[in-house]
Amino acid sequence: MARSFIGKVAIIQFPGVNCEYETVDAVRSVGLGADLLRWNEDPALLEDALGVIVPGGFSYQDRIRAGVVSAKDHIMDKLSELAADGRPILGICNGAQVLVESGFIPGIHWERVDLALAPNVMEDREGYYCAWIHLLHGGTDCVWTSAIGNEEVVPVPIAHAEGRFTTDDVKVLEEMKKNRQIVLRYCTQAGRIDPSFPTNPNGSLENMAGVCNREGNVLAMMPHPERASWLRQVSEDLGGGWGMKRRKAGGDAGKMEAAGPGRIFFESLKIWKEGGE
Amino acid sequence: MKTEAKLWVRLKVTDLVAQTAWMTLTDKMGFAGDLCGILRYSYWAMEAEGESAGAVCEAIDREIRMDSAFTNQNKHFYSLAVSGGGDEAASGDLRIDRDFPRGECGGRIFACDLFVSEQGGGKDGGYASRLNTRLAGAKVTGIRSGEVWRILVRAEDAEEATRKVEEMAGTRSRKHGLLLNPHYQAFEFIGTTEIDGKQRSAP
Repeated sequence: MARSFIGKVAIIQFPGVNCEYETVDAVRSVGLGADLLRWNEDPALLEDALGVIVPGGFSYQDRIRAGVVSAKDHIMDKLSELAADGRPILGICNGAQVLVESGFIPGIHWERVDLALAPNVMEDREGYYCAWIHLLHGGTDCVWTSAIGNEEVVPVPIAHAEGRFTTDDVKVLEEMKKNRQIVLRYCTQAGRIDPSFPTNPNGSLENMAGVCNREGNVLAMMPHPERASWLRQVSEDLGGGWGMKRRKAGGDAGKMEAAGPGRIFFESLKIWKEGGE
Repeated sequence: MKTEAKLWVRLKVTDLVAQTAWMTLTDKMGFAGDLCGILRYSYWAMEAEGESAGAVCEAIDREIRMDSAFTNQNKHFYSLAVSGGGDEAASGDLRIDRDFPRGECGGRIFACDLFVSEQGGGKDGGYASRLNTRLAGAKVTGIRSGEVWRILVRAEDAEEATRKVEEMAGTRSRKHGLLLNPHYQAFEFIGTTEIDGKQRSAP
């Protein structure tokens, strides 16, 4: 029987990604269908997909620059078509780098590369950085964050070396702010925006952690919600309510299978789907 | 005496990053008719003070051979050239003026050296202090670091060659440009030379 993505979320498996299976599981955890689609399969398979996720990892081993080689792949023609048509597309970490290098994000000038995800700038260290951070939600209506309250704080892990959102085009930044496209910003546990490390873990301009397009259907985010979709994935050392919940569940395998803070991004997609039915 | 030092370093084995750039430019971006080969180098342009070009060359050479932030003798070829006060000195196992990718390519061929660096200097300060901590007989007073892409293109003249390489370089949109993102990187041409088939020697 031919493969079909009708009503399912397609997780694009570029060579070198490493988060695709967790992402499939995270989508399925909210009751939606999800399957992998290899980058060199027929893009027409995506025609009736509910949405598309470009997962994290190291596509093409980050050669030349993270995300740029995947951005030139044939399958991105189809994603461009779907995105312009309003189909939900999420890029997580390396997937975010692919969407930025494709010009889908910020997408003010479609397919023009108006941003970069540059090497991290951190105090007293350089390169890859892995930690739990806090995200402050706000901005425009975005399919992928619709279940998150305005000004709500969500803890999610990051793991990257090139995650610093930046642009040398002041007008683009102004336009992004005017359109309220910066939907996720690095903040303290209490929700305060602090531009210094470690609250802003990579030196991102305006503490940007996730940027949505104006239309609200495409989101590029550096943090990994699929690594925070079950309580068992939450760090015992995490502060705040989620950390407390995790510590209380310790030793109880059943409780550990409860939802984690990152699941809300996939629940958002489900809400969007149900709203359209 | 003030001198200028240039250090070029490249892998001894096949460079998969350069191979990927080649395949992306030819197979996905339509440069198959123009592109004849690519090599990639780590590159440092330094200003250094010392007794003579020879003394500076000897001092820097001693350090870079022992510091894997610059070279690793097991996996890199390198070329160090120092000039100043009418004097020149060189070391290393790479002849940078004769290092071109091998292969067949008809027509006039130009080798364009595209230097890509991070805006704001990136790691430049770190490299300078790293060298100066141990450098004996010389002092590095300025450094610019990055990557050099040596790109061989088929063109009628040098102007056309650099124009074609510019099209391959800065990523302006999904389908245009590959080698750098202008929102945090900068580029400049540090050399454009016409070559003939006999000069093409590198693997």
